[in-house]
Amino acid sequence: MTEAKKIKAGSGALNVDASKKAQKTAKIVRLVITYLFLAVMAVIIIFPFYWMIISSLKTIEEYRENVPTLWPRNIVFENFRTAFEKANLIDLFLHTLYVGVVSTVLSLIVTVLSAFAFARLNFKGKGLVFGLLMATMMVPGELYTITNYLTVSGSLPFLSEPISALDITNTFAVLIVPMLVSVYYIYLLRQTFMQIPNELYLAAKVDGTSDFKYLWKVMLPLSVSTVITITILKMMGAWNSYIWPRLVANDDAHKLITNGLRGASFATENGDTNYPAQMAAVFIVSIPLFLVFVFLRKYIMKGVSRSGIKG
Amino acid sequence: MDSKKSNKKAWLYLAPAIILLAIFSFYPLLNTFRMAFLNGYNGMEVVGGEKFTIGIQNFKTVVGNVDFKQYLKNTILLCVITVPISTTLALLIAVALNSIKAVQKVFQTVFFLPYVTNSIAIGMVFNAMFTQVRVGSLVQTYGIINNIIGVFGIEPINFVNSGSTWGANMFVVCFYIVWHALPFKILVLLGGLQNVNKQYYDAAKIDGTSKTRTFFKITVPLVSPMLAYVIITSFIGGFKEYSSIVGIFGETMGPAGSSGQMNTIVGYVYNMLPKSNLGNASAASLILFAIILVVTAINGYVSKKKVHY
Amino acid sequence: MKKIIAFVLSVVMLGMCAALSGCKTAGDGKVTVVFYHTMGANLKAVLEKYIAEFNKIYPDIVIDQQSIGGYDDVRDQVITEIQAGKQPALTYCYPDHVATYLRSRKVIDLNTYINDPEVGLTAEQIADFIPGYYKEGTQFGDESKMYTLPFSKSTEVMYYNKTFFEQNGLQVPDHWFPNGENDVTSLDYVIKKIKEIEPTSVPLGYDSEANWFITLTEQLKTPYTVATENVDDRFVFVNDDNMAFCDKIREWYNAKLMTTQAIYKAYTSGLFTNTSPNEDGVVIHSYISIGSSAGATYQCPSALDDGSYPFEVGIAQIPQADANNQKVISQGPSVCMLKQKDQAVNDAAWLFLKFLLTSSEFQAEFSMTSGYVPVLRSAFELPAYKEFLSDAGYTKDGIAALSAQICMEQENNYFTSPAFVGSSDARDQVGELLVAYITAEGVSREALKQLFVDAYNRCVSLNK
Repeated sequence: MTEAKKIKAGSGALNVDASKKAQKTAKIVRLVITYLFLAVMAVIIIFPFYWMIISSLKTIEEYRENVPTLWPRNIVFENFRTAFEKANLIDLFLHTLYVGVVSTVLSLIVTVLSAFAFARLNFKGKGLVFGLLMATMMVPGELYTITNYLTVSGSLPFLSEPISALDITNTFAVLIVPMLVSVYYIYLLRQTFMQIPNELYLAAKVDGTSDFKYLWKVMLPLSVSTVITITILKMMGAWNSYIWPRLVANDDAHKLITNGLRGASFATENGDTNYPAQMAAVFIVSIPLFLVFVFLRKYIMKGVSRSGIKG
Repeated sequence: MDSKKSNKKAWLYLAPAIILLAIFSFYPLLNTFRMAFLNGYNGMEVVGGEKFTIGIQNFKTVVGNVDFKQYLKNTILLCVITVPISTTLALLIAVALNSIKAVQKVFQTVFFLPYVTNSIAIGMVFNAMFTQVRVGSLVQTYGIINNIIGVFGIEPINFVNSGSTWGANMFVVCFYIVWHALPFKILVLLGGLQNVNKQYYDAAKIDGTSKTRTFFKITVPLVSPMLAYVIITSFIGGFKEYSSIVGIFGETMGPAGSSGQMNTIVGYVYNMLPKSNLGNASAASLILFAIILVVTAINGYVSKKKVHY
Repeated sequence: MKKIIAFVLSVVMLGMCAALSGCKTAGDGKVTVVFYHTMGANLKAVLEKYIAEFNKIYPDIVIDQQSIGGYDDVRDQVITEIQAGKQPALTYCYPDHVATYLRSRKVIDLNTYINDPEVGLTAEQIADFIPGYYKEGTQFGDESKMYTLPFSKSTEVMYYNKTFFEQNGLQVPDHWFPNGENDVTSLDYVIKKIKEIEPTSVPLGYDSEANWFITLTEQLKTPYTVATENVDDRFVFVNDDNMAFCDKIREWYNAKLMTTQAIYKAYTSGLFTNTSPNEDGVVIHSYISIGSSAGATYQCPSALDDGSYPFEVGIAQIPQADANNQKVISQGPSVCMLKQKDQAVNDAAWLFLKFLLTSSEFQAEFSMTSGYVPVLRSAFELPAYKEFLSDAGYTKDGIAALSAQICMEQENNYFTSPAFVGSSDARDQVGELLVAYITAEGVSREALKQLFVDAYNRCVSLNK
């Protein structure tokens, strides 16, 4: 028998006061435990970030010390200067921003159109196509990389020689086009679209509103938070992508931020890594993402959490 | 509107996505099948003008690799261990977050942080925290984590250094994966909880149902669609685990002296690429693909039975 | 409806535009030679300087030099690019990389250029290369084919704490294992002695486990690898002789006489120059450190506040097993040429390669900047390089020169192991094997033997 039932079983006016008191105490205890639990988890979550930050403020000598110091003895900002100098960060930022913005805009267009088709239009083979798309989420991406690399180099199947006119490596296009479609975003937006009552759509149909107009005027405004979520996720993707850019656009004119950072730029001639400078660079690169998250948390919360709701 | 026209229109809307997917997803997928079933298919030899016979030799080679069982075991265990732990923890945190008012926003922000990080970079930070600095066989310093657990009287553990056991490595990797997986799950589950109609809880309160009972009988069923969603996505992600391990151990995928000890199937695929051994890489990818398909199907079947919509 | 079509079209167009705008313009009669390497900023500056020199002679050849991360990154990039038919004309390489590239038949036999009466190398130019280095290019199964030219070289040397050795009357060891008792010039004797003098020390640090294993097989003439057709027969390192020297190292490890990079988790130079105390307030030192000759400056302690150094560093050839069969490993990048669609690019690439590798000035300057040693004898004769060498000393200022001198002196002892597809796996596996072997705790003879067998199985498995 549970506590609450016991209390309920005990009747009489005198007991009511006592039980209220007990309830109150239980509530406080529960609250304390809740906060304690959250606090412990929060510390665990935050610790690696703390470690990254203090490492970026240490001298390389202090970083290499055998007993790690919990707080840098001398705070140095030298590492940040090294990071900026060695990695040509300004250019890298600009490239990444360009790729991020263009690919986000194009990606949104493609995503909105497909999500609308899946959410509102009826057509033959809808289930099959949707299933097929979902299935691609399960395929390890590595599997695509090599073939895609051949494709963007102008090497087509059944041709012995690559066509150099189709070679788009070392352009911004190659960083954008192959990544435009994300099945996950389509799925996310479809879920949001499906929550918009069908009656609205039917009413619009009766009014003679075109599908496109309806999509633009009604559905998109109602799905703003998901659209923002996708925008943020896509930008983050551009910010964090590594394997593909390294392969297809490794020249200085198109290098993206992670590639610039991971290049040998922080290795001394001996091959040893300057960890504090690297940590500083990782920190610098993370700042825009942190800021985006702190200020736009609301939208990400809404968008991502909605993805879990089955339509 | 007749259905033909509607069909046409729908396809138009889908055209950009379908065309791009056809070029950059479906074609590579087909190409993978082709490469997997050409015996000893090797990118270098293709260029050299070599011809290959059709067969299943690549699959035999992959399965016959002395370490393949280990990779398979790691891949599966990483999923089986981390998915339940991270899901349970995320649910507890989400419920706790949902039940408080003060500083809720602050906690939320903190729990989001791992979401915005590069898994390789932070993996390196985790490595630094677990590493013992050793000189020969003398331990110079145990690393910050060992220092912390030392406070509770636990003997220092060799987590990631040479000579560390598979179990200890597994613990670190799982710890990191759970850490990294939490934000997304908390986000989704919290979103679900906030959408739950308060009336259910009020009803439970009136009935005097205990908190534990409320949790299992009301909360869990009500967020079960989100639970199903996070479980399926994290299983899929878990089977493709690679970069977390690279972050912690580097591309050797294990501590010095036992590299490859923590390697996974995706890691094996990457090992094959520098040898341009595309046949084996493709075969291994397809094996992984098959496993994911089966698990997703089981997941889907179970959630159809258990999830309350 | 029309709107939608227009919209969809515009999306496609946008993509196309972006794609087309990226297409590179060709023509204008210039030839571009792409050169991949791993140089950092300092070395790139040196390279740029000589590219400018080169362009004075050949203004129509553009050298597009790109730094691609580390050696493995270069390899990965080149392999992928070969498959897409767009490999660079020139690239840094290690022998096992070339073994992989060879399968594509895209590696150019440099003899076709070297022996060319017009653009080839003269007999003097060939003779100017240090023979051991030059020979490496022919070790790919067919001796008549030359696939690589040496670019710059390093080797392993032994650094020792000269001050400590002099204070304690220790001899610099020149062989590993003792011949009878009190063999004062054996490493075994010296590290035990150091441990006696300072029990908290870890006398020896060795950076590369793989090098240690391979070098010992070479010095002891025990089997390691053979470049044969059959995969099962290539990896012959499983034998009692090799187990015997692993046992010896295991003894040293268990007696806390040594550590390695993998065990220490950092370059062991850190231990050699260590000045900071551990949790118990003890400063743990090593007194001998075996590492790359190119890392000499890292083996020197930083100057103290008064400008003096905590100790002086001596350099010597690494210990040997057999005085009549002295061997040290040869490392450092070589360069190979990959076939291009346009023959003119190949020819231009050769001209550049020849310019760079027969220029003793470039070799000298590159070496002084990097810590690597020149591959040309004439570079050592240049006034600038001689001056550099004359500054050789036992502290940070002169250590690189001292290291270069030692490398020059052991010029006849260099070896490389055979390169074939899978030779890098053998290298990785024996390095792993040595660490696993010496750190394994409380295991039986059979279990130790099994480590060898496992390493062999992995090598075979990875190359089927």
